[in-house]
Amino acid sequence: MQRDVRVGPGALRGAKQLLSTVVFWVLGRGLVTCARLDSRVRSEVTSWPDGTTVTLAIAPRGPRTTVRKRGGALEALGGADPGPSTLLVTFKNVDAAVPVLIGLKSVTGAFVEHRATLAGDVALGLSLVRCLHVVEGYLFPDIMNRRILPRPAMREAGHLRAYVGLLRRSASLSEKGAAS
Amino acid sequence: MIPAYYEFANTAKVLSGDRAIENIPYELRNLRCSRALVITNSQLRGLGLVDVVLSALADGAIEVGALYDDVPVDSSVTVVNEVARAFGDNRCDSIVAVGGGSVLDTAKGARIVLSTGAADLMDLRGSDRLVGRFMTPFVAVPTTAGTGSEVTGAAVIKDTERHVKMAFASLDLVPDVAVLDPRMTMGLPPRLTGSTGMDALTHAVEAFSCRQANPLSDAYARAAIDLVRVYLPMAVLEGRDMRARLAMANAALLAGVSFSNSMVGIVHAMGHACGGVAGVPHGDAMAVLLPHGMAFNLDCAGERYGELLLHLAGAEAYAATPASERPAAAVTAVRELLSWLHENAGQPVTLSECGVTAGQLPDIAKAAIDDGSIVFNTRDADVHDILRILEGAM
Repeated sequence: MQRDVRVGPGALRGAKQLLSTVVFWVLGRGLVTCARLDSRVRSEVTSWPDGTTVTLAIAPRGPRTTVRKRGGALEALGGADPGPSTLLVTFKNVDAAVPVLIGLKSVTGAFVEHRATLAGDVALGLSLVRCLHVVEGYLFPDIMNRRILPRPAMREAGHLRAYVGLLRRSASLSEKGAAS
Repeated sequence: MIPAYYEFANTAKVLSGDRAIENIPYELRNLRCSRALVITNSQLRGLGLVDVVLSALADGAIEVGALYDDVPVDSSVTVVNEVARAFGDNRCDSIVAVGGGSVLDTAKGARIVLSTGAADLMDLRGSDRLVGRFMTPFVAVPTTAGTGSEVTGAAVIKDTERHVKMAFASLDLVPDVAVLDPRMTMGLPPRLTGSTGMDALTHAVEAFSCRQANPLSDAYARAAIDLVRVYLPMAVLEGRDMRARLAMANAALLAGVSFSNSMVGIVHAMGHACGGVAGVPHGDAMAVLLPHGMAFNLDCAGERYGELLLHLAGAEAYAATPASERPAAAVTAVRELLSWLHENAGQPVTLSECGVTAGQLPDIAKAAIDDGSIVFNTRDADVHDILRILEGAM
């Protein structure tokens, strides 16, 4: 009998983790950008109490992204440890997260299949899902959106403006980070 | 229909039938327990139903460490904490809950506190938060045939100070033992028998047609609907019929297992909201809203409803109905059952009859869109869709 069997992570695992880290980065900043660009996300975020901290994460010890509402506005905290989150959505493993993050499966589909757990108020979770649907409408092309969104994507601004806003936010965050 | 992926669990041992309650001590000993906390409410105690359980425990040499009989109509965090304290103060090692949804939800809440040592239940809201913890042994004895709470992993507890309804969902909340004894439901009046039966039917129909329906939950849902079709009218007309009562208790349990795994949909989202905004009893809301929710879903769930016609209307009606007409016929079958309950048990058929006013509808629609059940509905619905459905049900 072989004892203490150790199997290293599959070759693809690192790639999936990296992909998840990148998409989480985009999603976090996408949420912040859409909260400025799109009235639907703005309206959802307005209903969140100030200080609300929302984290998307992958178990165990995978990448994560956090956004926090402070002073009435949403800010992206990236992958840093945010402390206790008001709402924590955790994908059970990276394989559960990747199809959602690359637009092959809807966010609600992940919940429906028990691929993710939710810690916190369910109503806030649903508000987040509605925000993510809008964000996905901007980030993904319509051919993918048709598969993952409950309704055809409606955009109040163009893809390009959303991406520019996202990159601008990233640049300003980087500058803040460098300054601090 | 086979989903790409699904999960299913039913961990409760079921005791169903004549003198099932007398077997509770045996099950408690199997769980290494000897001193129970009994949870119920004063009304059930007054009806003598709790005495049946207490004497069974005494006969089986199980001590009753404490009897908590002050559970209110809505489970609250205050009561949950009192129950948990009573459990510890009286050195109990197990919970026996005798009652309807609020008693069983209170017991589930107390079980969370006892099993996690949580100082604030609010910290444990959400889904699948309790996995892997040792849960206090728990026997559930339902006294209505509708909620299916004796086999579900869901609980709703009110925080009366913060005015928040806390939802908990975890298969670890499922009781260890579910006891279906017809003596517990024989005294239910026809009106309550009807509305709780419609609650069970709604669980089954929604579980069968929602987004996480799977072959296992389907089997439970089909069996539940068959029992409701045959035995709900009998239980309403002849409440002392033990066979009808036991069948309806089984229908509620089967539907409970089904929806605990595949979840419910828009009818429950609207029903919870009607309860929260307008105080509509859950069973009444389910009865009124089920045909309207089904009609809304027809475009997406028509094929599934067509399959359900066999169970809702029976084999002859199913065979006599062309396949293309079966979905609509299934909705009609539910409407006919509701009308029958209206005539024979005074069951309300509109939201107005339940006391809902037109002015409350926007708030109900807003609350429904924030209810977790909406995610699992087969057809996407926004606040305008829900408002239209509610207006149709007035």
